[in-house]
Amino acid sequence: MNRFTELLPWIVAAWLLAVGLYGMITSRHYVQLIGCLSVVQASTYVLLLAVGYRRHAGPPIFYTHPPGTPAVDPVVQALVLTDIVIGATVTALLLALALQMHKRRGMLDPQELRPLSR
Amino acid sequence: MTPRLRLIIFLLACIGLMPAFAHVAMRMPSFGAHPLPYGETINAVATKERHVTNMVSAVNFDYRGFDTLGEEFMLLCAVTGITVLLRGTRGEQTSARPGVLEGRPIRPRSEAVMLICRIFGTLTLMFGIYVALHAMTTPGGGFQGGVIIASATLMIFMGETYRGWRRLMHSEILDAIEGGGATLYALCGFASMVAGKPFLYNILPLGTPRDLFSGGLMLIENAGVACAVAGGFAVTFLEFLEETRAEKEDPE
Repeated sequence: MNRFTELLPWIVAAWLLAVGLYGMITSRHYVQLIGCLSVVQASTYVLLLAVGYRRHAGPPIFYTHPPGTPAVDPVVQALVLTDIVIGATVTALLLALALQMHKRRGMLDPQELRPLSR
Repeated sequence: MTPRLRLIIFLLACIGLMPAFAHVAMRMPSFGAHPLPYGETINAVATKERHVTNMVSAVNFDYRGFDTLGEEFMLLCAVTGITVLLRGTRGEQTSARPGVLEGRPIRPRSEAVMLICRIFGTLTLMFGIYVALHAMTTPGGGFQGGVIIASATLMIFMGETYRGWRRLMHSEILDAIEGGGATLYALCGFASMVAGKPFLYNILPLGTPRDLFSGGLMLIENAGVACAVAGGFAVTFLEFLEETRAEKEDPE
């Protein structure tokens, strides 16, 4: 195992965070911005699962093999599992916001957005 | 702030954080050999203590059950937000017709699509229930199962058109399933308190490991999560599909 593959998970996580943020900053469309937010979120999944990984270990489910056999970390898996489900509904909430804005303002460009004037 | 300035600040921040990232990444423990004291402990003791074989469920519903309660309410809040945002302007009334673009005919579904959706909708629903039920033994649980169950309802929309979907999906029932699931989870916690134990303490008989109904209180919590997730996602689908309805309604 050379040094590069050791570092690869952290590089991938940092890269996903950076490209996601870049996309959010330069975004000209809310749907694209929400997609970029999901990319940022994916970087946390990569980071968590990489931290919980253990070489030559099975899943943390002791149905066919007895407890005590090497297994990866169940805590980060539980975190990622709930995060994916909650993330999906939060994405839907943001999309609902974008939909409302399109109805009210007729546009979806975050850079054109100004405070509501009465 | 102009977009250009924002981009420059972002790039400067990236360059500035680069050494910090390199410093941390180089000093991480070797990949695949991290010390994992919490996970190791759970892997070692959970089967003995809680009689379940799926450690992820043991973490979700027992050892960190309180966190899952918080996540449950996050889900509830997000879905409530979606409903308020979308229904707020649209109003409560429903109709059997989806919105159509001017001059575009609504074609009936082909029989092949209908047949495939009827077969696979049922199978997807069964698979979802299967996944949700096997939370304590094999990979699965309320979160995954709930999402699959909700996806099965979308098959109704695909196969039976909007009219058939609306006839089967009633938002009052889905709201009740969602809120009821979250409430059931919270009530599990209070039941432990009534029994004189800490919140969410596992008070029910634990059963035998590798049995479908092992895990005691976790089973009820899992059912609550499955209901909340399935109901929440179905409400979300319903609200977004209602959005396709034409704005100025409908002679009928």
